Amino acid sequence: MTPVAGNALVSHLEHRSRWVRLQVFESTVRAKKGHLGGTFSCTDLLVALYYGGIMRFNPRNPTWKERDRFLIGKGHACLALFHMWVDLGMLDHARLETYGTNGGIGGQLDLSIPGAEHNTGSLGHAIGIGAGLALAAKLDGRHTRTFAMIGDAECDEGAIWESIMFAAEHGLNNLIGIVDRNRLSVTDRVEDDRGSGKLEDKLRACKWECRVIDGHSFDAILGAFSNLDTLDKPLMIIADTVKGKGVSFMENGIKWHHSIPTAEEILVARAELGGAS
Amino acid sequence: MTVDIRDAFFDRVYEFAAKDKNVVFLSADADAFSLQKFKRDFPDRYINVGVAEQNMVTVATGLALAGKNVFIYAILPFVTMRCYEQIKFNICGMNLPVTIVGVGVGYSFEFDGPSHHGVSDVGIMRMLPEMTLCNPATPLCAASYAQQAYESSTPVCVRLDKGPLRELYSVGDTFSRGMNLVRGGTDLCIVATGREVQRSFELAEILEGKGVTVGILDVHRLKPIDSSAFLSEIAPYERIVTLEENSIIGGLGSAVAEILVDNGVFKPLKRCALPDVQCLKYGKREWLQRQYGFDTETLVTSMEEWMGLSGGTDAK
Repeated sequence: MTPVAGNALVSHLEHRSRWVRLQVFESTVRAKKGHLGGTFSCTDLLVALYYGGIMRFNPRNPTWKERDRFLIGKGHACLALFHMWVDLGMLDHARLETYGTNGGIGGQLDLSIPGAEHNTGSLGHAIGIGAGLALAAKLDGRHTRTFAMIGDAECDEGAIWESIMFAAEHGLNNLIGIVDRNRLSVTDRVEDDRGSGKLEDKLRACKWECRVIDGHSFDAILGAFSNLDTLDKPLMIIADTVKGKGVSFMENGIKWHHSIPTAEEILVARAELGGAS
Repeated sequence: MTVDIRDAFFDRVYEFAAKDKNVVFLSADADAFSLQKFKRDFPDRYINVGVAEQNMVTVATGLALAGKNVFIYAILPFVTMRCYEQIKFNICGMNLPVTIVGVGVGYSFEFDGPSHHGVSDVGIMRMLPEMTLCNPATPLCAASYAQQAYESSTPVCVRLDKGPLRELYSVGDTFSRGMNLVRGGTDLCIVATGREVQRSFELAEILEGKGVTVGILDVHRLKPIDSSAFLSEIAPYERIVTLEENSIIGGLGSAVAEILVDNGVFKPLKRCALPDVQCLKYGKREWLQRQYGFDTETLVTSMEEWMGLSGGTDAK
């Protein structure tokens, strides 16, 4: 994949990613609730989608009919989206300030949140819902695309594979899946390559186009999301990522699915994320 | 007049699809005679998703989120229990206009074993706050629910029996209350649903021969049940029997008991349904019913005992 990004765009995206990670971190330590590891692994991908010119949307009109749709199976990474949506002007900052309080914005997406296209929390649905949205776009003759992000551990859900086959059989070349392959579930390492076979092999066997990239390289991410309008089949971008990316002691640590750092850890992490000490 | 209840329903869905291109029909490899013309005339809006009910529900979710009016169809336990998580979380969680159509109420699929029996879905579907649950007993009622489902902006589940059913209603009858009194009486009210409404007439004749006047209330909407309408319908009666080809747990009998208790109405109530046992037997529907005490003869006997009737004399 040839890089399509100019240095300025990459630098802008890197800057946004640092900012998003820091905001996610501060919200998490303030509320003592959040999923830092799996949010940090997909932050660069989310930033590229929303700030890298990949998705077509109108921040002033989040329900614009011609928008691309973004679905996410791993909705527990919502804090990154909340901060991006506030930054883009889609979501009120005051609403985000209620995060973690009784009755406030919670640990998942739902349709009451501007920017959210579906309710999240139950794994294995995003590809199927995405297939329905992509099918509706075809029936209506709309040239919109649907992006659906899932986790690699989530790929154990059998329903995903029903949807994978359906999307290929119906030629849904307007459906783009993204696997945040951070190789960690809540309690274990995800090593499908050693067991049932590589994820990319399975997807290609199901007649999906598959692009495997470094999920923390904006050059690679932007390259993988290029030429989407010339696809002839559904596309899965498998992004190899690091759970806890950006904080050295969290990276690849099984503990950091939903742990909250201690006072000493907060200082170290904040410094590494570029926050004020 | 007898019409297959599936044809009554799907013929009406076809009419809506003909005038509204937002109607999309998904089938998990289930068929019905009347679906042939839908397939032929609207091939892009009739999709056989294959034997994949969970995906059918998530695809329906995406279609509904994009503004489509979606009908999904499969054998009853598969389109409800097999994909319950997807229904609960997506269709109900987002309160979407998806109509779930299941064929095979009770032991309709008599030779196909417990996998195919529609006997335990009512209890779980009633637990979904957004769900409207319909169980029509006749072709006209089924056709009405096709219209109600089409016009609904929220989730609907319609349970359909298999095969022809005798019409008990007339053109012009309305079904919006969710229940209709189809036979009047004063002593006993049989509160029935689905095909059992039809059997209730037979039971009523037998019991009337023993001096009991019997009314029949067809409850064709199992959720929500309008409590005040129900209480006013049963007010004239001394006793109530519920009758359903469904598990004794969680179905119409449970719903009726809840309404009576919650409203402090303490009439004698007998719940007639299938016992809480796994059915691993195969045979004709009537034979299966007999194995579990749900045949007409056994039902009459147990009702007579409950009412204190003995041997055909009027001892009520």
